[in-house]
Amino acid sequence: MNSAENNFDCTAKIDASCRVPLLALFGGAALWLVLGLALALVASLTFHAPEMFAGHSFLTYGRVSAAANDLLVYGFAIPAALGVILWIFARLSQAELVLPLVPVAAANLWHLGVFVGLATVLGGGSSGFAWLEFPRASAMLLGVAFVLIAISAVATFGQRRERELYPSHWFLLAALLWFPWIYSTANLLLVTAHPVRGVAQAVINWWFANNLIFVWLALVGVGVAFYFLPKISGRPLKSRFYALFAFWTLILFGTWAGIPQGAPVPAWLPALSSVASLLLIVSLIAVAVTTVKTVRGADVVCRGGPFCHIRFGMAAFILSGLMLVAGACPQYTRVLELTWFGQAQAQLQILGFFAIVICGAIYEILPRVMGFELPFKKFVRGQHWCFMAGTVLLAGSLGVGGVLQGLKHFSPDAALPVLRISTLGWMFFLLGSLLFAANIFVMTIKWKLALVRLVIAYVKSPLEISEVKP
Amino acid sequence: MSEENKSSPASTEPTATRSTVPMWILVVTLVLLFLGFVFFDRHSGWFDARVYSPYASAEQLDAYQPKTGAAAARAQGKKVYESVCGICHGVDGLGKPGQAPPLAGSEWVNAKGVSRLAHIPLAGANGLISVEGKDWNMNMAAMGAALPDADLAAVLTYIRSSWGNKAGEVTADDVKSVRASMGGHPQPMNGEQMMKMPE
Amino acid sequence: MKNGFAVFFAVCVALGGSWTGFVLAPALQLGTAKQTTILNSSDNWPLQRTGEATLGLQVYRANGCAACHTEQVRQDGVAFEVVLTGAGKINPVAVSNLVSTLKLSGLTKDEADAATVKITAIGGKVETHLAATGADIARGWGVRRSVAADFLYDVPVQLGGVRVGPDLSNIGVRAPDANWQLVHLYAPRAIAKNSAMPPFKFLFQVRKIGASPSPDALNLPQEFAPADGYEVVPKPAAKELAAYLLSLRADAPLYEAPFTPITAKP
Repeated sequence: MNSAENNFDCTAKIDASCRVPLLALFGGAALWLVLGLALALVASLTFHAPEMFAGHSFLTYGRVSAAANDLLVYGFAIPAALGVILWIFARLSQAELVLPLVPVAAANLWHLGVFVGLATVLGGGSSGFAWLEFPRASAMLLGVAFVLIAISAVATFGQRRERELYPSHWFLLAALLWFPWIYSTANLLLVTAHPVRGVAQAVINWWFANNLIFVWLALVGVGVAFYFLPKISGRPLKSRFYALFAFWTLILFGTWAGIPQGAPVPAWLPALSSVASLLLIVSLIAVAVTTVKTVRGADVVCRGGPFCHIRFGMAAFILSGLMLVAGACPQYTRVLELTWFGQAQAQLQILGFFAIVICGAIYEILPRVMGFELPFKKFVRGQHWCFMAGTVLLAGSLGVGGVLQGLKHFSPDAALPVLRISTLGWMFFLLGSLLFAANIFVMTIKWKLALVRLVIAYVKSPLEISEVKP
Repeated sequence: MSEENKSSPASTEPTATRSTVPMWILVVTLVLLFLGFVFFDRHSGWFDARVYSPYASAEQLDAYQPKTGAAAARAQGKKVYESVCGICHGVDGLGKPGQAPPLAGSEWVNAKGVSRLAHIPLAGANGLISVEGKDWNMNMAAMGAALPDADLAAVLTYIRSSWGNKAGEVTADDVKSVRASMGGHPQPMNGEQMMKMPE
Repeated sequence: MKNGFAVFFAVCVALGGSWTGFVLAPALQLGTAKQTTILNSSDNWPLQRTGEATLGLQVYRANGCAACHTEQVRQDGVAFEVVLTGAGKINPVAVSNLVSTLKLSGLTKDEADAATVKITAIGGKVETHLAATGADIARGWGVRRSVAADFLYDVPVQLGGVRVGPDLSNIGVRAPDANWQLVHLYAPRAIAKNSAMPPFKFLFQVRKIGASPSPDALNLPQEFAPADGYEVVPKPAAKELAAYLLSLRADAPLYEAPFTPITAKP
């Protein structure tokens, strides 16, 4: 059918316009994912044998665990998110990516910034603030790169002819606005020679950490899931109202969570966070209802593919949200606060929810964008199982360890046996990330080889010149 | 690709259904908002920078402050009074006829300002003085001149808050400034001369 | 949602809410705080760190100590104690009899006030003492909760988020000995048997003993000591870190976190 072919042509062009920016973003993201998980594994190993890396300052737990966390979020999560956002906006706008070279340059800037940050943290130049350890120089590179990519994304969004917004639009546009806002605020007020005075630093740090790890990853992850779940299953998102409601409650209430109950700050700060966390329940309900209604009865045979990825990720998100709410309940903070429970929730959110959802999305996007199938299709399922096992082992063990720690009033041996299981979790994640990276790298190499072959063929082919003497 | 749904490559982008607004979730939100507000009212101290949990309000924090300072000062004032002043003025503050006027209910003790009162133990008193409607004509040495400022302040605070007297405290700084204003050899005064001084 | 501008504005307002509440307001309220005084005293709180201790905070930050250690003590409640200071002159026997029958510690404020009234009514003299209670305090990690004033001069504030190791806000009170701190940094298992803390060997130097042993050399137990003829000497960073740890104390009563300090009887 002619219009179908036209449509296909059009879609193929849209996909092709995203190719180089997405490869630039996803390639670096895959590398940082592997490296970040490797560093996290190193950090985890020090619990089994503290002597292991004792002589080297750049391998000490405090530096390595901070570097690992930052690599997972800044090195992997954000570039992967940006790449997926660019493609989704292009597809929803039914228009080619606007200014495609800008994200390519910005991606390189971004990865440079991450590299500078990593080297600084391992070298002892950490800023001292959780999730914000990268120095000013690195932060500036990251900030500029993000804004450049956001400009391209918003310009692409502006090309749409369909005026009504799809729910994913709100989530992803809000994410494009929110990250520069929180990142610039936190860096200007904290990562400087004269930060705000006293414990206000900690308050702003908690605000930033919550908004980055919980709210921003939720905005992108849920937005991406609300795009792919209907698309893969071929059914519509059910329903527009629930998705809207989830969006508004997430940004109205979710942004106020994050201040720990026992913190050395006046009582009104943790009280506001508690109330916000309580109200977050309705957001979680709305997300859950939308996901379940959209997925239930869908005629998709999953077999470890992207649909499975995203479905599992959404379940992990609901659990992570409930853990956040539980951690903010005054009755439970005595047991849960300042324990591994908070770390478990963070890793569940970053890896169990976001990494799994975004990897599922990337598996859907890359074949379309590259124009050929994934080189190692079985690895998709392998990664799914590795990440699921990793999530259960890591988040489960740290969560249980945290509760044990709290119940035993932080006695030193309370969590140790459980921590050993968490190392196993990290190993599964690392294996899964290698499977993911393999697909991306081989696809990139195949494409580059194809380019090279194209250039060689062009050079070798006879030129069309009007006057050729036989 | 393990995506099994074989839609055509020209499949449309995902859409979202419209449905009637589920009121129940709005009701749940409002209920939680109300509960949240009640919690905030009880636990936040209403944005006061000094209220930290477990204290629920600024009033509670103020009420719970340990009053050891005042209690200790009062105990000290009582001790000094009983050893220095009580011999003449009586442990019960009622005075002794022919020896010393009463302090309980005395207008000199209960005066709003403290400097006229502080003058008496620092400089002494000599001559006619009217206390609670009765005339006294005695001679009092400067019993408080040798006391440290804090002790004299404690004594004066003690007598101003005992035996029914309900006047304010006297601080060591007050005593210090009265002492400084008196100069080298202050003369004991009678009632008329004292009234000329600022309260 | 079709009106792009209206939606954008609404999203800005919604997002800006938390910025106002958790960035702007604390920066104005807590970020402009000044030095305060200890309760019932004119001594300032907190005191600025000086010299090596200030540099030590940067060593603490650089090595990510806050990844395992917190510097915040929490408090669950308060407990009152009524202490008899004198049996009084009216009926001392009755007073001491009454005191032996009443519960006088672990009281709420109302219970303490009631007991005070009962005792003073028959001439006894009492004092009410206030103590902070909570799991952290019971564990000996502090005598009161941490408050904003404790961190006024810290750049950066290192509150920590997980207690893999113990809380350090009063480590300067619990372990005031510099050698203990240095030995613990060099070989944590010399102090705590199954410690998960990594040894910070790169902060120290194992070197041959010169003409005479260095005064800085660590006193290590046999199994952690270096070979014969060698000594372990702290590098400047280790000494700064130890100085910082020794400066960590939060044991003065403040208006926001009052308690009756236990003073030595003269």
